Amino acid sequence: MRAFIIILLFLLLGGLNSALAQDAVQADSAVIKQEAVPSVTAESEKTLVADDFTAEDVYYGEGDDEDFTDGAMESFDINDPIEPFNRSMFWVNDKLYFYLFKPIARGYRVVPEPARKSVSNFFSNLGTPVRFVNSVLQFKLADASTELGRLVVNSTAGVGGLFDPAKKYLAWRKKDEDLGQTFGTYGVGNGFYIVWPLLGPSSARDTVGLAGDFFLDPLRYVKMKPLERYALKGLEKETKLSLNKDTYEGIKRQALDPYLYVRTTYAQHRKGKIKK
Amino acid sequence: MFAKKTILLALTLVLFAAASVIAAVPRPSNQLRLAVDRIIEVLRDKNLSRDQALQEVSNQVRSKFDFWAMSQRTLGINWKKATKEEQQQFVRLFAKLLEDTYRGRIKVYTYNDEHVEYIGERVRGSRAEVHTIVVANKEIPVSYKMRLKGEEWLVYDVIIEEVSLISNYRNSYGEIVRDEGFGGLLARMEAKIKELAENEEQGGSEESVPAPQGGNAP
Repeated sequence: MRAFIIILLFLLLGGLNSALAQDAVQADSAVIKQEAVPSVTAESEKTLVADDFTAEDVYYGEGDDEDFTDGAMESFDINDPIEPFNRSMFWVNDKLYFYLFKPIARGYRVVPEPARKSVSNFFSNLGTPVRFVNSVLQFKLADASTELGRLVVNSTAGVGGLFDPAKKYLAWRKKDEDLGQTFGTYGVGNGFYIVWPLLGPSSARDTVGLAGDFFLDPLRYVKMKPLERYALKGLEKETKLSLNKDTYEGIKRQALDPYLYVRTTYAQHRKGKIKK
Repeated sequence: MFAKKTILLALTLVLFAAASVIAAVPRPSNQLRLAVDRIIEVLRDKNLSRDQALQEVSNQVRSKFDFWAMSQRTLGINWKKATKEEQQQFVRLFAKLLEDTYRGRIKVYTYNDEHVEYIGERVRGSRAEVHTIVVANKEIPVSYKMRLKGEEWLVYDVIIEEVSLISNYRNSYGEIVRDEGFGGLLARMEAKIKELAENEEQGGSEESVPAPQGGNAP
């Protein structure tokens, strides 16, 4: 009987210990830092040494039986019959980005971020008609009424759209909708991939959508000189660029073929948005 | 009497075994949160030198990302066709490239009130999805696909604004393999890593305009 009690105590302590360890791991990140990392490293070091493999890079874990090749994984590719044209447009846009738009955006960053954020909010508020109409066309009536509510609140309490109290205090969030997405929910496919100068990546479907949405832009119905119109468009674009944290630079640095990378990103991004 | 004791002992053992298994399987969000919180803490810490910070972030990423699974998923059918050596080489190169993505980001990183909200998780067997929102000057939905390996939940895909990192690589790498073969892919990865290393040596490449690259020319 005594032996039994001793074993029981032993097990109890063991169990308690592992439970405590669990809590400790969850409470204190230092523990995971000290314990988890070396264990992974040690494991891989073993395989690496065994395989006589550059032993400094020991961080990628080791293979196991579980299969991750997942042949059935969704593919997001998009038809690209005019790839030579697209690649040259991509190249043009790339040069415009690095030698024209980006330097301007960098200079623009002198303006404090909250101010630029307000400019961006202002343009976003002007995009309400596009989002509203397309929400209705997709029978997303709740989203449509949110858009109307946001327009009213942000145009008044938000000082003509400079601020976004609708999100801050009422949690009414903007949801990007456009005609391309509307076509998508109706079951229209991408068509083919096309890169426009200045406008960037698009598809046959989304280009038609873009043209349609153009008529819903309130600025279009304000009387002004063409040059002023371009300046406003430029301001909108530069504001967005100045707030962006150099996403494109990251892609350029690290993607093997930035053109392909951007193309799949576009296809995936649009597909995700249509599903939402 | 002896038999009774044995049965009792066996029962207790089973009970404890079961209890410890339940206790041992942690929540994926909790594990992820530890690593992410630590990374944010490191980036906030003004006392750490940039190299120290990079090293610490790198440790966290290595402990939480399953590069092996990511590589398999990226290559898909091509993984199965590749030889053992090619697979290992790919994992090594791929991990290096991925590491550079966040190294580059961290170098230009300025901390401004960014934080992460955990909005939910879904666990199915040994796979899980953790949904978060990164709140910076805008809100960016970021989801992690994780797998249970032993007691560790490891990330094998990151989905940022509906765009899966792995799907992206899968498509473009697949195309390169189709056009240039597996050897061609590995060669291009090697060249890219070399190019990145050279950039890093020159330093401050972030602010200068990158030199035009022949690769994109029409």
